[in-house]
Amino acid sequence: MSLGGGTFLAGAPSRLLPASIPFRYFGAAVVFHIAAWLALAAGAADAPRFVGGLGWPLAALHLVTLGVLAMTAIGASLQLLPVASRQPVRVVRAAAAIWWLYTPGVAAVAAGMGAAMPRFIGVGAVAVFIALAIYAALLASNLAGARGMPVVIAHGWASLASLVATLATALALAGTYLGVVVIDRGAALALHVAFAAYGFMGLLALGLSYILVPMFALSSAPGTRAGLASLALAVLALLLAGAAAFGLAPVALRVAAVAAGAAAAALHLRLMAVALATGMRRALGLSFVLVRVGWVLLAASLAAALAVALDAPFDGTATLFGVLLVPGWLLTFLLGILQRIVPFLGSLHAGAAGAAVGRKRPPTPSALTAGRPLAIHFGCHVVALALLATAVVADNRWLALAAGTAGAAGAVAFGVFFAVAVRRMGGGARAA
Amino acid sequence: MNYRSQTSRTLHDEHVATMALLDRVEHAFGRADGSDPGIPTLARALARHLDHELGRHFGFEEEQLFPRLTAAGEGDIASLLQEEHGTIRAVAEELLPLVRTAGERALDAAEWDTLRRGMPELVERLVAHIQKETMALLPMLDDVLDEDTDRELSFAYASA
Repeated sequence: MSLGGGTFLAGAPSRLLPASIPFRYFGAAVVFHIAAWLALAAGAADAPRFVGGLGWPLAALHLVTLGVLAMTAIGASLQLLPVASRQPVRVVRAAAAIWWLYTPGVAAVAAGMGAAMPRFIGVGAVAVFIALAIYAALLASNLAGARGMPVVIAHGWASLASLVATLATALALAGTYLGVVVIDRGAALALHVAFAAYGFMGLLALGLSYILVPMFALSSAPGTRAGLASLALAVLALLLAGAAAFGLAPVALRVAAVAAGAAAAALHLRLMAVALATGMRRALGLSFVLVRVGWVLLAASLAAALAVALDAPFDGTATLFGVLLVPGWLLTFLLGILQRIVPFLGSLHAGAAGAAVGRKRPPTPSALTAGRPLAIHFGCHVVALALLATAVVADNRWLALAAGTAGAAGAVAFGVFFAVAVRRMGGGARAA
Repeated sequence: MNYRSQTSRTLHDEHVATMALLDRVEHAFGRADGSDPGIPTLARALARHLDHELGRHFGFEEEQLFPRLTAAGEGDIASLLQEEHGTIRAVAEELLPLVRTAGERALDAAEWDTLRRGMPELVERLVAHIQKETMALLPMLDDVLDEDTDRELSFAYASA
């Protein structure tokens, strides 16, 4: 039986990108995280019934999806996938270039959405599109030569295909702001939400979990057959949702998509639960509490998706679905994992750089971790999510404002944790 | 965890025992004072582990396993693990005198404080090292060792 991180760790030193590459993506994500909650606060009046259209709620949504989720996914996958797929790192310059294109692009898109300035959106969207297209090419090149970890690699391919669909539908949606209609806006929006959230980012999150959860819990790798079955169900769910978006028996296919998605999630969560329960390391701290909260909200998002499919008689159903899906599942899960990855990668980099300058001992991950900011972030994040969900249910702008404020406070605390980790890495990060 | 090779299974069993010991150490030495009546027994067990079992385990890996990994093209992981052995030995050497003393008599406040501060680093480094060995070294041994070599190595380790 092979173990979760076996091939991940093997050859790790020679397959590490310079620290400045993944950490610049993580750093940008930390900043956009703060901006996202502030944008929510700025758009609090419209947030409880937001279902699209220019304004600060749309900016907040894209600051989370593009600025935090995709930004972190790019940084993490550029580092983790070459190691997992036993590929040498060949893309240092391209990996750095993507950041320089992508980061200002996301800022311009968000500012344009918030201030209702389509030209800003257009310029930013071009930069984001090119950056993500380059990233997709790098991802494809890496996956094409992959060896080992078939479940992770298969999730990578499905995520990549979803990224292509996401980019195509994003272009179609951007076109509607400029008067160019390629496909019906409602269809494009439904495809965009499903393939961006559950497809690109969701499948990448599920795939990388097969490396990271067993590695931190010290458990056996989940079974390949079960992992691939979960993926097949998830892909089926996306295809059914895609067909429904084009008006093909929409209610029946959406319900079927939710059922397939629920089966995929149940299988995945069962595999993760077994990994955590059988691991030699049980005490995984607050980070894995966030991961578990994220998993619960994944299930809740599917229940809300069913309510949307059945056109439940409540005005806020679609908004609540978005809250449970994006800040609920994806953001919560990612922040839990990120607070483990940052010190883990930091200690590896600081160790390698320290050895090069004759430093006696590399720092431990916990030596790079500031516990109090993470505890503050945890409390603020959970409160912010609860306030935001309640704001939608009660259609209350003040609760949405409170959610944005609490979320921003938590995001600042997370930023402090990140800054402390980078500072404590010291010469390691600079040398790299 | 079902490893094919006897060598991997033996090392894994030792990891499980070490994790159990570290779990107890983490709880007992994490307290503000040294009043736990189980401390002397635990300290003696830890001292024995650091003095003998750790050296035997590390020595076997460095002399018998890492050269085979390097020859099989997995020198990166072998050198990473060897560097960690050096760091863990250094941390253990610093703590061992106080751990031995804690097994013989009650520590005064300053001694206890020193031990309490140093113990988390030892525990974290050992756990992280076991994590890497469990996930990287042991599965690799299943690939690298043929049946005869595996039998020879496990016999040699058991009789050492």
